[in-house]
Amino acid sequence: MPRGDVRRLAVVEGSFLRRVDPRTKIALSLAMSAAVTLPLPSLALVAACFAGLLVAAGVARPAAAQLWRGRLWFAVLFLLDWCVVGIAFAVLITLRLALLTSSFMLIFASTTPDELRLAGERLGVPPRLAFAFATAFGSLGLMEREWRGILEAQQARGIGSAPAMQRWWQLRRADLARVTALVVPAIVLATQRAWSIGEAAAARGFESPERRSYRVLRLRAVDHALLAATALVLGVSFLLR
Amino acid sequence: MTPLLEAAQAAFHYPGRERAVGPFSLSVNAGELHHVRGPSGCGKSTFARMLAGLIPHLYHGRFSGAVHVGGLRTVDAPLWQLSARVGLVGQNPAAQLLATTVRDEVVFGLENLGVSRAEMKTRLDAALDGFGLRGMEDRDPHSLSGGEQQNLVLAAIAARRPQVIVLDEAFSMLDAGAVTDVADHLQRLRYEGTALLAFEHRLPSGNWRRGARQHVLAGEPPAEEPLPEWPQRVVPLHLHLQGLGVTLGRRRVLEDIHLSLTGGQVIAVLGGNGAGKTTLLRALAGLQPFDGDMRDDRDSGRLGLCFQNPDQQIFNPTVRQEILFGNGGIDEHLYRCTLELFGLRAYEYRPPLLLSEGEKKRLALAILLLRPELRGLCLDEPTLGQDPQHRRMIGRVVRQLASAGYLCVVATHDVDWAAEWCDEFVLLHDGRIAAHQNARALRQPEGEERRCHAVM
Repeated sequence: MPRGDVRRLAVVEGSFLRRVDPRTKIALSLAMSAAVTLPLPSLALVAACFAGLLVAAGVARPAAAQLWRGRLWFAVLFLLDWCVVGIAFAVLITLRLALLTSSFMLIFASTTPDELRLAGERLGVPPRLAFAFATAFGSLGLMEREWRGILEAQQARGIGSAPAMQRWWQLRRADLARVTALVVPAIVLATQRAWSIGEAAAARGFESPERRSYRVLRLRAVDHALLAATALVLGVSFLLR
Repeated sequence: MTPLLEAAQAAFHYPGRERAVGPFSLSVNAGELHHVRGPSGCGKSTFARMLAGLIPHLYHGRFSGAVHVGGLRTVDAPLWQLSARVGLVGQNPAAQLLATTVRDEVVFGLENLGVSRAEMKTRLDAALDGFGLRGMEDRDPHSLSGGEQQNLVLAAIAARRPQVIVLDEAFSMLDAGAVTDVADHLQRLRYEGTALLAFEHRLPSGNWRRGARQHVLAGEPPAEEPLPEWPQRVVPLHLHLQGLGVTLGRRRVLEDIHLSLTGGQVIAVLGGNGAGKTTLLRALAGLQPFDGDMRDDRDSGRLGLCFQNPDQQIFNPTVRQEILFGNGGIDEHLYRCTLELFGLRAYEYRPPLLLSEGEKKRLALAILLLRPELRGLCLDEPTLGQDPQHRRMIGRVVRQLASAGYLCVVATHDVDWAAEWCDEFVLLHDGRIAAHQNARALRQPEGEERRCHAVM
């Protein structure tokens, strides 16, 4: 596989959210997550404002793609709630889930793992934990590539892909062997990678008490404006409730 | 004069191992180049980690002797202090990347030094310019070529201005062009007073290695026993590729490949990183869709692909179970021959994950060879990171298989190995065949060998 084929959650470079402090984006996402407790009319208002923000920021497409990936779950949930309780309840629950799903896309579509690490450290997360989170987040694409490599390598030795999802008591011995053939190398490779990342970080002075970050996080006018707008929308929504 | 780095009878005993690694002694001064070599398993990487302070800080085991770095005793000083004085560059550049942009990769180490932001900016700019990374600041490090990645790792280490840089087989995964490029950068660092310690099977050629101090670590190279004859003779393939092409994403990786390959031969596929070698092997093994035509005159079987990283395939508790998995029908004689041919007899009941890299590669080859209807093998960089004995072992095995009628196609950066063990070579450049000749041409220093190095 070519080197350039590592798929990460792509950061939308042109978005004005790239200039927004990651801490503001975290606050915004948390506020949206809190808004799911609102009743339907207020929730609809918050969701409409949030959708407007996603469009204005140019990250509506990745957010929509994320929602599209979960379309089956949304549909099942919607139909189930409609049949059991009613249409209003179905809309409410589906809207809540959609808002929760897309609220964190605002961060992931406009923030690199390194920026997230810095924001985490500034918010008091221990550096080791912030580094681990950022590395894990940044490694998702690599893990996917490794998984595909394992599938192909085992295929080359005549071991097919993992059995389709079925009830565990129906798994046959051969199926279990196939799963083992995929899972063991995946664990081995992930462990090897974790170890080499740890070594590489240590070789560059990780955990130095003298650490000083190159980037400076500063709340600017755009951050203040966004935070104020969020507070206003949420305030009005809670009042309307 | 106090040496920058000094090891005195340094040894390390891994838990559960019978013998300790070492003891080793060494003394390094500013601007020196030291070349440390020895057979696989003699403890080169362990020694490199002792010098960088990773041992004993990150590894469990018993450390004895002493290593001093810039006046600090590695056992007593914290790792972050040692890393400011000695940098370590490992074999696989992709495994050492920590950030999501080139800029952040270089900055990561600078942040830990605690220097001012203005100083970080100055050093970042110098590193980007000095290692040919200018213009790539916002690129994902994993999208760079192997040579660029190793330059980036080196830039990230060099920006911290350590007094000593330890290179643990830092050249072994690079193609010839990338080796020259990285060696040029190292030469410059040496002129500036940085001492270099290269743990390599062999140093890349060029002026930069002039005056290198040689150290040979004791160890026992594997005894060269006669290989058994492979008991299964196969009907040779006659494979014809006509106008074969492959597109990956928007990139045309292979274009207009015309080749005729015959069983019983060893064919080297040469070319630099990104030339299309692995893609060609994947197409031959049926793992990569292609356009154009590939035809086997006798329709007599297929080619298997042995991947670069054997850890992708290994999962059984013993070597025996690993070989027999899915091959339960093979008779004991064939199984024994497989063990003998690949030098795995002594490891039959050992966990395969504990084998050395060279042994794992041979095991992966053995597993593949027992697949039914197999008439040929594609090997992707089998000699990568291998010592001379293991490179030779792989050469002998492919020759033995070729004499049994198998077609062996080997993608490699290693022109010397191809010259010694292959019948023909195919040189790829930008996805096209730049040359297809008898491998004898590679043995003429002024002929094809020079051209291959130039292209790669």
